[in-house]
Amino acid sequence: MAILRNICIALLAVVLTGCYEDFTPDIDVKPVLCMNSLITAGRPIEVAVTRTVLYTDENQDFTVNDARITIYVNDEAKDADYIPREGDRIRLIAESNTYGSAQAEVVVPYSVKGGSFNWRPYLTDVRRDDSIGYDMCATIQFNLEASLTIDDSASEENYYRFAYISSHPHYGDDDMSGLSFHTGTFRYESEPIFAEHIGVFDSMMGGDAYGFTFFTDRQFNGDNYTLHLQYSDCQYSVASPVWSDELLDCEVEFTLYSVSKSYYNLAIYMWHRDYGSLEELGNIGLGDPIWGYSNVSTGAGVVAAQSYTTYKLSLRDFLMENLSEKNSCRAMAMSLRRKI
Amino acid sequence: MRKIILFMMLLCVSAISSAQKVTVSAVNQPAAQVFRTIIAQTGKNFVYSSDLLRNVKVSVKAHNRPLKKVLAEMLRGTGIDFKIKGRNVILKCKTLPLPERPASRRRKAPVYEAEDTVTELNEVIVVSRLEASTVETGEIGAKKITAEEVKNIPSLFGESDVIKAVQMQPGVIEGTEGMAGMYVHGGNADENMYMLDNVPLYQVNHFGGLFSAFNTDVIRYIDFFKSSVPAKYDGRLSSFMDVRLKNGQPEGHHGSARLGLTSGAFNISGPIGENTSYLIGLRRSWYEVLSIPLLALVNASTDEEKIKFRYSFMDLNAKVSHRFTKDLNAFVNVYFGNDVLKTGSEDKVDSGSDWYSKYKFDLMWGNILAQLGLNYRIAPDLTAEFTAAYTRCFSSLRNDELDQYHYSETVTETHNIMKTVNNVNDWIFRGDFDWSPKGNYRMRFGANYVRHSFLPQRTSRAYTFNDTHITSRDSTWAYGADELNAYMEHDWRISEKWRIDAGVHGSLFHIDGKTYHGISPRLSAAWRPAEGWALKAAYCHTVQYVHQLAQSYLALPTDQWIPISGHFKPQTADKVSLGLYWQSADGQLRASAEGYYKSMNHLIEYADEYYLRPPLEMWNARLTSGRGIAKGIDISVEKSMGKLTGHVGYSLAWADRTFAEKNGGRTYPARFDNRHTINVTLHWDINDKVQLNAAWTGHSGNRFTLLPQVWTAPGFGSQYQYDGDEVPLIAGINNYQLPFYHRLDLACTVRNKRGYWTFGLYNAYCHMNTIAVRRSYRTEVEVRPDGLSYVSRPVFQKVKLLPVIPSISYTWQF
Repeated sequence: MAILRNICIALLAVVLTGCYEDFTPDIDVKPVLCMNSLITAGRPIEVAVTRTVLYTDENQDFTVNDARITIYVNDEAKDADYIPREGDRIRLIAESNTYGSAQAEVVVPYSVKGGSFNWRPYLTDVRRDDSIGYDMCATIQFNLEASLTIDDSASEENYYRFAYISSHPHYGDDDMSGLSFHTGTFRYESEPIFAEHIGVFDSMMGGDAYGFTFFTDRQFNGDNYTLHLQYSDCQYSVASPVWSDELLDCEVEFTLYSVSKSYYNLAIYMWHRDYGSLEELGNIGLGDPIWGYSNVSTGAGVVAAQSYTTYKLSLRDFLMENLSEKNSCRAMAMSLRRKI
Repeated sequence: MRKIILFMMLLCVSAISSAQKVTVSAVNQPAAQVFRTIIAQTGKNFVYSSDLLRNVKVSVKAHNRPLKKVLAEMLRGTGIDFKIKGRNVILKCKTLPLPERPASRRRKAPVYEAEDTVTELNEVIVVSRLEASTVETGEIGAKKITAEEVKNIPSLFGESDVIKAVQMQPGVIEGTEGMAGMYVHGGNADENMYMLDNVPLYQVNHFGGLFSAFNTDVIRYIDFFKSSVPAKYDGRLSSFMDVRLKNGQPEGHHGSARLGLTSGAFNISGPIGENTSYLIGLRRSWYEVLSIPLLALVNASTDEEKIKFRYSFMDLNAKVSHRFTKDLNAFVNVYFGNDVLKTGSEDKVDSGSDWYSKYKFDLMWGNILAQLGLNYRIAPDLTAEFTAAYTRCFSSLRNDELDQYHYSETVTETHNIMKTVNNVNDWIFRGDFDWSPKGNYRMRFGANYVRHSFLPQRTSRAYTFNDTHITSRDSTWAYGADELNAYMEHDWRISEKWRIDAGVHGSLFHIDGKTYHGISPRLSAAWRPAEGWALKAAYCHTVQYVHQLAQSYLALPTDQWIPISGHFKPQTADKVSLGLYWQSADGQLRASAEGYYKSMNHLIEYADEYYLRPPLEMWNARLTSGRGIAKGIDISVEKSMGKLTGHVGYSLAWADRTFAEKNGGRTYPARFDNRHTINVTLHWDINDKVQLNAAWTGHSGNRFTLLPQVWTAPGFGSQYQYDGDEVPLIAGINNYQLPFYHRLDLACTVRNKRGYWTFGLYNAYCHMNTIAVRRSYRTEVEVRPDGLSYVSRPVFQKVKLLPVIPSISYTWQF
C-alpha cells in the first residue's frame, strides 16, 4: 500500500519542488525540565533528567547539571534504592535551580496472572547436508504458531506490550560456528489487535502494524483474549562433528508486559510520528502538527511503568523428532552408535 | 498604488449596456414564453407589472446575438420598452404613462417591485428571495450569485467553481490554498450547508477538495446566506448555500461542450413536447488520457514491477421539468458525482526462488441525489413547493495485498484484504409555502421530515497465511435518526421605511433513544432613512445536529459525517449583525458595511492528542466540546453594470476557540483567524469578443501550531529504540501566524462564432505563499583540514505551495 503514499508524495513534490525557505521564527521559548523513566516492578528506579532546547540550536545540549530527584511511593518519600512493586503509585519530582521543576505520577501495573500458553510448530522443510565428518548436519525450516491467552481484569483500562526473543545457550560459543537459530519473520498481521491503533486514514496512506506490539484491552475488557502469534521461515541450522543433545536446546521466550498508559501513549505517538500520516500532513500545512506525548508537568518526558510475565517455549523435542526422522546424518550416527 | 488605480477604475468607468449574447427563435409566441428561454440562457430576471404582457405575442430569430439587440427586435411594435439594469431586465409600457401614484409610493425602488412581479410570468416558478438589491431586502450578509458571475472569477486550472466564487465574499475564508474549503465568519468547514435545488449535499468536493462538485454549466444561481438566515434554513451554524439548477430550454436544443486542462463537460437542454423540457450536464476529468500512456511507457521499460494508477471524477446532472398547468409545475432532478482512485502493482521475480506480489487499492466516493419537486399555486396569493428527495454520500475503500513466495518445495502465501465503507443516507420530504395576502405582507412557512441513516465506518479485515485464515470486523456503528423541522417567517413592510422579517425554526432530532430539540428564532429589521440607504439589524440562532470528522484540511473520503450522540449537545450559534447599505440612484454602485458578533456553543472538535486513542473506539472518545467567538466587519463595494464591473471586499475579523480539553483550557485563535482579508474582482468587457477577468485576494496569514522546542525521547529498552530521538515540545495551539497571503488570478475569454476560448493564469505574479512551517535539516559543506565534511543543521522552513499555473479551455456552444 506504500504505493499510494509514494504517489501522493510524488504529486506533492511536483508542486512543492524548491518551495522551502529557511527562516528563523520570531517566537519566545523558555527551556523546561524533561524527565524520563521506565519503572519496572522488581527493579531499581532510574530517572533521566534533561531539558528542552530550541530545535535550531547549533549545539544542542540537553544536560542538566543541578537536578535533584525525589521519589514518592504512595505519597511517602523513599530512598533512591527503593524497589518498586506492582500497584505502587509512584510520583517523581525533579528540581533544578536553572530550569525549575517537573513532576509526574504513574502506577505500576499488575502483571498478567494465570494466562494460558500454547504453541505448535510445523515443519516446512528439512535440508540435509551429508558432509563427511559431521555427526549433526542439517537445516530445519519451519513455521511456528503460538497462542497466548490474557486474563484481563475488568476494573480498569489495561495496556499491554508483547515481546519475544529467541535464544540458544551455545549460540556464540567458539566451537559452535555451524549453529544458528532464529525465529524468522514474526507475522504482525496475524494478530489484528496489533493494528487496532491504525485508522482507515492511516491504512489508506500505507500505515501498517509492522514492528508494533502494543495494545489495549478495550476490545476485551474484563474478559479473556487470545493472542495469535505466527512466525514464518524459522530456521535451525547445525553443523557439528559431535552429536550433542544440548545443541537442540532452542528456546523462544515470550514476554507479556503490562504497561502504564503513559508508555502505551508514547509508543502510539512514536508510531504516528514514524509511520502515520498526520506528521507529514502537518509538515505541508494540510493537517495540524502533532507534538510528543508527555505525562510530565512540563510537557517534556515520559514517566512510565511496567511489569511482566514470561513464557518459555522449548523446541528441543520438535527438533529432535525431525532430525531423527528425516536427517540421514542423525540416522547414520544412531546406526553407528548401535553398532559400536 | 496599483490597487488604488484599479479601484478607481472600477468606480469611474462609465456603464455600457451588457453584451451578453443569446440564441432564440420564436414565431408569434407569447412573450412570457420567450422570456423564459432568455432567462435560461442568461440568468436575467424580467421585471414588469402583471398585466403588461397579457396577450402580447412576439416573433424573433437570433443566433448568438447581443441581448439588447434581440430584445429591441423582439419588442418592436409591442409598445413595450425595456431597460437592462444589472441582472434585471425592466419592462415598461412605452405609450401609456404609468398610473400616477402618491409620492410615497413613487419612492418605492424598482427592485422592490422585482421581488413581487417576477412571479407574474403567469406561472409558478421558483425565484431567488434575493432578487432585490440589498437596500431593499431584509437580509444581512446574503448574496445571490449568478452562474455568469461564477464563471467570471478566474480559478485554478480554469475550472470555474461555485465555492471558490463564494470564497471571494467578505467574511468567507478559503482556508488552505487551492482548496474548495469554506470558513464563514470564524466557523468550521462542516458548518456550511450546501444544497442542490433545496436538497442537502454532504460530499461537495472532487480531488481532495481542489474542485467543488457543482458543475457551473448547469447552474442558474446561488443563494448564499451567512449572517441573517431565513427561517427556512437550519441545521448548520455558519452559512447556507442553495445552488439552483437551470431549467431546460423551452425553445430548441441548445448546449455547450467544453474541454479544459483537467476536465471536459457537455450539457444540453431543450424541450420534450410542448410543456416538458430537459437539461443534462456531464463533467468528467480526463487525467487517464495522460496517465494511461505514461504508465504504459513506464511499465514497458521494466520486466519487474508493473504499476497501475487511475483517477477520475465526474458529475452528472439531469433535470426534467414539466408544466401541467400554469399553476402546477413538476420536475425530477438527479445528481451523481463521484471520484474513483484505483492503484495497484504486480511484481514477479524468477531467480531461484519465485516471488510474486500483487497489490490493489480501490477507492470510490461521492454523492447521489434524486429529487421530485412540485411547484403549485394553490391560490393567487399562495404558492407551494413540495419536495421528496433522497441524498446519499458514500465512500468505499478496498485494499488487497497478495504475496507468494516459492522456495524449493515451500510455498508461502500471504493475503491481506481490508474493506471500509462509510455513508450517509437521507430521505427528505418537505413542503414550503409562500403566502402573500397583502402587498406589504408575506408569510413563508413549511415543514420537513428527514430520515437519516449514518454509517460512519465499517471496516473488515481478512488475513490469510498459508492455511491460517483470520477475519476481523470493527464494530458496526450504524445509526438511524429522525429529524423533524417546521418554520414560519413573517416578512412585513410596515411602512416605506421599515421592514421587519421575523421567524422561527423548530427542530427535533431523535437518535439512539434520545431526542434533541432546537428553537431557532430569527429576526431582522431594515430601516431606510433615505432613498438608496438602509440600516439593518438582525439576530439569528442556528442549531447543528451532525458534524464532520476530518483529520486533514483536504476533503477526503475518510472524512466521516456523524450525528450528535453520547454526552454531547447539539452545536448552536447566536449571531447579532448590523449593516449599513447604500446604492446609487441608477443601481450601478452598491456599498455595504456589516458588523457581526457570533457566539458558538458546544462546538465539537478532535481533542488534543486524539490520535492516541484507537480509532475503533466510539468516536465520541476522541472528541471534545467547547465554544467559539467570532466577530468582525465586512465591507463591500460593488459595481454591477457597465463594461467594467467588479467588487471589492474587505473583512476585519477575529475568531477564537475555548475548549476545556484543548490548549490547557486556554483560549486560542482559530486556524483561519485571518485579521484582514481583501478580495478584488474585476470583469472587463473589452469588446463583443474579448473579456478580461481578474481576481486579487490577500489576507493575513493562517494560524499555525509551531513547535519550536524539542526534548529527547526515552529508549525504555524497547525494540524500537526511541532513545535520543528528538520529540517536539507541546506549544500553544495556533501560536504562530504565517506571512500575509496574496495572489492574483487572471482569465481572458475570447469569443468566436461557435464558442469561446478561456485562457487563465492562477497566481499570475507567482507569489508562492507560505502554507505551513516545518522542521527540517539543511545540509552544509564544511571545509576541514582533512577534507570536506557534510553537516546537517536543523532549520525551520516555510512550505510554499502553488506557483503560477496557466490554463486553457475551449467551449463550443450550439
